[in-house]
Amino acid sequence: MINYSAFLPELFLVMAAILILVVELFLTPTSRRTILSWIAFLGTLAALLSLSCLSGSCPAGCNLGNGTEVAFNGFLKTDGLSLFFKMVILLATLLTLLMTFRYFKTHNTPYPAEFLAILLFSASGATALTSAQEIITLYIALETLTISSYLLASFMKKDKGSNEAGMKYLLLGAFSSALLLFGFSYLYGLTGTTVIAEIAKSLAMQASSPLAVFALILIVGGLAFKISLAPFHMWTPDVYEGAPTPVTAFLSVASKTAGFAAFIRLFWVGLNVPALQPVWVGLFGVLAALSIILGNLEAIPQKNIKRLMGYSSIAQAGYISTGFLAIGPMGLTAVLFYLFVYLFANMGVFLAIVIVSNKTGSEQIEDYAGMWKRSPLIGMVLLVCLLSLAGVPPFAGFSGKWYLFGAAISKGYVWLALVGMSFSVVSLYYYLQVVRQALIVDPKDSSPISISPLEKLVLVACVVITVTLGFWPKPVMDLAQAAASSLF
Amino acid sequence: MLPVLATILAGFAVTFNFFHAASVGPNALPLLTSFIVIPILSAFMILAAPVQWTRWISLFMASMELGIGFKVFFIFQTAVGGFQFVEEVPWLKNFGINYILGVDGMSALMVLLVACVYFAGSLISWNITLRMKEYFILFSLLVGGVAGAYESLDLFFFFLFYEFAVLPMYLLVGIWGTGRKEYAAMKLTLMLLAGSAFMLVGFIAMYFTSGVHTFDIRILGDLAKTGFNTDFQKFWFPLLFLGFGVISAVFPFHTWSPDGYGSAPTAASMLHAGVLKSLGGYSIIRVALPAMPDGAKFWLPLLVTLSLINMLYAAIVALKQKDFKYVIAYSSVSHCGAILFGICTLQVAGLNGAIIQTFSHGIVAAMTFALVGTVYGKAHTRELIKLGGLAAVMPILGGLFVAAAMANVGLPGLSGFVGEFLIFLGAYKSGYHGGFTIFQTLFPIAILAIVMTAIYYLRLVQMVFYGPLKDPHYKDEVRDGTFIEILPIAFLLVVSLVVGLYPKPFVDMSNATIAPLIEHIRGFK
Repeated sequence: MINYSAFLPELFLVMAAILILVVELFLTPTSRRTILSWIAFLGTLAALLSLSCLSGSCPAGCNLGNGTEVAFNGFLKTDGLSLFFKMVILLATLLTLLMTFRYFKTHNTPYPAEFLAILLFSASGATALTSAQEIITLYIALETLTISSYLLASFMKKDKGSNEAGMKYLLLGAFSSALLLFGFSYLYGLTGTTVIAEIAKSLAMQASSPLAVFALILIVGGLAFKISLAPFHMWTPDVYEGAPTPVTAFLSVASKTAGFAAFIRLFWVGLNVPALQPVWVGLFGVLAALSIILGNLEAIPQKNIKRLMGYSSIAQAGYISTGFLAIGPMGLTAVLFYLFVYLFANMGVFLAIVIVSNKTGSEQIEDYAGMWKRSPLIGMVLLVCLLSLAGVPPFAGFSGKWYLFGAAISKGYVWLALVGMSFSVVSLYYYLQVVRQALIVDPKDSSPISISPLEKLVLVACVVITVTLGFWPKPVMDLAQAAASSLF
Repeated sequence: MLPVLATILAGFAVTFNFFHAASVGPNALPLLTSFIVIPILSAFMILAAPVQWTRWISLFMASMELGIGFKVFFIFQTAVGGFQFVEEVPWLKNFGINYILGVDGMSALMVLLVACVYFAGSLISWNITLRMKEYFILFSLLVGGVAGAYESLDLFFFFLFYEFAVLPMYLLVGIWGTGRKEYAAMKLTLMLLAGSAFMLVGFIAMYFTSGVHTFDIRILGDLAKTGFNTDFQKFWFPLLFLGFGVISAVFPFHTWSPDGYGSAPTAASMLHAGVLKSLGGYSIIRVALPAMPDGAKFWLPLLVTLSLINMLYAAIVALKQKDFKYVIAYSSVSHCGAILFGICTLQVAGLNGAIIQTFSHGIVAAMTFALVGTVYGKAHTRELIKLGGLAAVMPILGGLFVAAAMANVGLPGLSGFVGEFLIFLGAYKSGYHGGFTIFQTLFPIAILAIVMTAIYYLRLVQMVFYGPLKDPHYKDEVRDGTFIEILPIAFLLVVSLVVGLYPKPFVDMSNATIAPLIEHIRGFK
């Protein structure tokens, strides 16, 4: 008998997506956008709420299990760790849906149903990825996520940038998936199993072989592409700039979170054997440092805010990788906490971008001039969220970085922490360029920017969460610690 | 005039009644937390209240803050020593982070300093009209950050509050500044945060090396004997010093300071020059010396050299400035060199001198910046060539400026003298303990810097206030300071006079920290 609880959130997402496609047939073009958006919203919300039932400690008391659900002979296992990842991904999806609503007010598309459905499919791929315990399941989930993302990135058919983004993403993404699959095939050949835990057992008994190292490098390359670690980051700025803004936001948070989930399952469990561990730890050290350095330096000359956020997200992936290197509960807690913080900071910025470009039609940083007059709330969101990304107290990004670098130093990566901290200062320079425009410079056009009540609520929530977690990180830290304990 | 005085008195009254229970004792109200919360609360109140209430709220809250500052100062028991008013709340157990506030003699003085400058700064900002609400919000947040940094006994919170103060500074300089304000704001922010990046890594390294996994400054200080070996100290002391040195504008990391203060609005310069900058010297005494005495001794020659360069170089540069405010800015850099020099003596007298000088410099620099700001607001120029003879049209401000200049120079009777005297006493004495005899040859150089301070301040007084009135328009257009402008400056002058005439309680307080610290350091080779 199939244990449906193990993939309950995915079920909700997929059902909502199918419902959208079916319902769309019966609706008139004028009314359908609102109704379809509501279906998508409710489906995602249901998925999100089901997480708390699955965790075994639902406040409403409707527990479905004790926190660990296994299905398909253990190929899919939903434990505390994957619940945390799923929470981040689903929250990101919810916020993306909110942005979508605003975005399609100006960027008209004849296919809202398809967009929403693909977005939900993509989210279901991302959430499934976090519970995958077996490399083929993992690969299928990953491809569900990325193939949907290619479609989403190129969704604005008449827009040159969007087409370019989709094409680039598709070509490079397919290549990296091929690398990953190639690596997996070696792994299978060496161990004769596709279950990650079995792979670890089998590898531990073998002598170190160059083939394993080769497979390892292929896998690192393939996955590093997905979370845009340098030097596999070239696609990021172009895709982030060209893709519809809600999709960019989705990619920057949900896709990255899923990527890190895959990293942790594969490397911390599957490849954490004495012969291989130094190799991939060394590799990741270099990749993390490169991402931090290149991402931050290349962000400096950017004029387009989405491109800037693209480079910023490369650097952020680098910071998170720093914590990923510190194998252990402390490193994992730090990574989870930072992902949660990153989610709200990044989503706040992207929501602000969508709202502003909806009004001004521009994504240039200089067109953010005078936000303090045009919309103080957006000015505040940019200040708080961008500086949180830079890691300035009292915002949550600061505590996040403190734990990440703390975990890294505890395992002896002082040099990496020094690189991370010094380039955080570099990042402050370009974040402050945006803040400068928004809060210091006088507006060129001082017409106010209107924000809907729901958007206001979400923007305020992003600010409040980002500030509160800086001072009082305990609730989320406890959650992250509980999640981390399911692996250790 | 009357409403202002009434507001101030109301603020005091609330403090003295409401916080009356807040003496040392088990049922005490958290006095130190209130000290951080009041400015931050003020920011939120200003945000919510109508715009015409802004400066009244700020003044009221600043008066309350001043009341608490005095309370801490007077209730603190010098004879008992150690950390008092300690508040401890566990924050993140697994990461060894606790919310610990507490003051010893040194930080009690700093708390008083913060309160005085906040009070004076609120008054001096009275006539701000551009984006007034935002200005006072940021100013209050800045004070909240500074106050927290001086009271924290946990490195995490120390760092958090310190950097929390940098951010409002960026916006204050960027929006309300003058001259190349955006350049100055960016330079200041990036340099300060670059310094603190190294500091942070150092803190975390201390955390893990200590073996007990704590950020508690009191415990880390005691670990110097067991936890941190000499190699560790030699490696990490310079990194910590880099962070602290950037804060206190030590040569060659001082360049943010003249530009920053030159451009910042008056109250921000007062608070940053007077209080935030002193955090550098303060944290060397609080964190680096107790935890890494061997490291400090190893790097002492470098530190002494830097401090001397700091004093002399900044004094020479001050002599050549054409802008009124830049002279004061460089003078402040030079004074911070003297503070570092005092710390380097590793003598009871020298370190006490450094602390008294920190306090005095805070008061005096705030007073001088307030005067410059007020004069600039009336004369609309800070170029020394265009100013002149202003004493004729603004006699009270002129007189106050002469007093401020004398306090900077170190005239006996004003606070500057006490600090400098003790520093030189310490420098002279340090030869007798077989320690660092080089001081006796070096300290004439330091005295030279004091002489130069006198030269450039007298030049300033002469160029700005005496001689014939350069611009005839000033005769009709410029008026002397109003009550609200004179009040903060006069208040700061009174504080400086009190320290100068009766330094005993202040020195006793700083000695409550320094005497045990020197004992602690002596224990090392």
